[in-house]
Amino acid sequence: MNIICSNCNAELYKEVKFCSKCGKQLHKNEIDKRTSSLNLIIVFYTTFLLFAVVSYLFYNEYPYNLLVEIVIESVFALMVVIFSLFDYKEILKLYKIPKLNKKILAFSLVFPLLSAVIVYFSIAFLNESLFGLNENYYSEYVYLDYPLFWAILFTAILPPIFEELGFRGFLFNSLQKVVSERITIIATAFIFALIHFSFISFIWIFPFGLILGYIRSKYNTLWYGIIIHFIHNFVVLMIDYYNFNNSLF
Amino acid sequence: MEEVPSINTQETSCTICKTSMDLEDIYCSECGYPEKGNEREIALFHARRAMQKNQNMDAGKKIRSARNILYVMAGIVLVIGFFDFFQSQDVGVLITNAILGIIYLLLGAWTSKKPLAALLLGLFLYLTTIIISAIFDPSTILRGIILKIIITVYLGVGVYSASSIKK
Repeated sequence: MNIICSNCNAELYKEVKFCSKCGKQLHKNEIDKRTSSLNLIIVFYTTFLLFAVVSYLFYNEYPYNLLVEIVIESVFALMVVIFSLFDYKEILKLYKIPKLNKKILAFSLVFPLLSAVIVYFSIAFLNESLFGLNENYYSEYVYLDYPLFWAILFTAILPPIFEELGFRGFLFNSLQKVVSERITIIATAFIFALIHFSFISFIWIFPFGLILGYIRSKYNTLWYGIIIHFIHNFVVLMIDYYNFNNSLF
Repeated sequence: MEEVPSINTQETSCTICKTSMDLEDIYCSECGYPEKGNEREIALFHARRAMQKNQNMDAGKKIRSARNILYVMAGIVLVIGFFDFFQSQDVGVLITNAILGIIYLLLGAWTSKKPLAALLLGLFLYLTTIIISAIFDPSTILRGIILKIIITVYLGVGVYSASSIKK
């Protein structure tokens, strides 16, 4: 395919960095491309930091308010989708149903069961002994009519869908343009752990993110990540549900 | 189409980067050297190269400053953690600060190998800690605001410098 120099209209016979006739630098060079990806990554992260502050203020101002919860979750989902539009072609590919691979499917079903139980009991223990915190995800929704439905929707269904799209989709693809594949896996896991806003939880969310990133990189799909993330959150919620109902009586 | 371009079999190579060139080419398509250009064009090419080199040396300095900031942050966080612990006997604060300090140390050490990734994550870590403290106590956001801006700018400049010299 012939290329025409944008400056002097000379015909060039292959992709080159400089026009051989007028000397104009033709392609936006690597550094510029990297800078624009880097800008997008930094904007993405700061946007979510600010979003975290705003949503925290709203939750504080209007505790136990379904409308506020729905609005905040929708804004989060919308923001992730808007960022993903920058790279929608590459991201859509990640939603193709992967060829059935029993090994990874079995791993996706068993690993989150184990991670949920281990994390639940070790982190609950740490949080309680260090900070006197006793969080129960289910109890946050008992003010509503169908608490189990809302709890499952807001903690087990929505976060896996949109966090995977945001972190293993958009962020992963953007980082790939800036650093190597291995560093991309490490960096997405790190940022995924940071945005959960707990340095104690960093200990387990970082390795959890490494595993999700590795699977995303190896199989080029978001589905396994969504399954693992869903089962993990769902099991944690179910243990909370069980504990909540048994501690009342 | 007046003329079908003939495939030129006569080749020469660029004086600077040794990429092969067609005889009729004026500029090297790889590095932009004006092989058949006049003196002024050649001088301009060398001036640009020198500037580029200077920028790269500058980038190295900026990366080192950003790395030092990560080490200083590690020190501050660890010292505050111990200080707080001896005052309040609160193990939670000690462990949180210890984890945070170790992450800063590791990122600082990683800067010599992977400056771009290490500094980018360092910048995000720093911004996140500011936001977390602001959530606990909104008044902290204004405390030392100038210092916070300076640290953020240094880390940001380090990130872009690392990006500019990455191969």
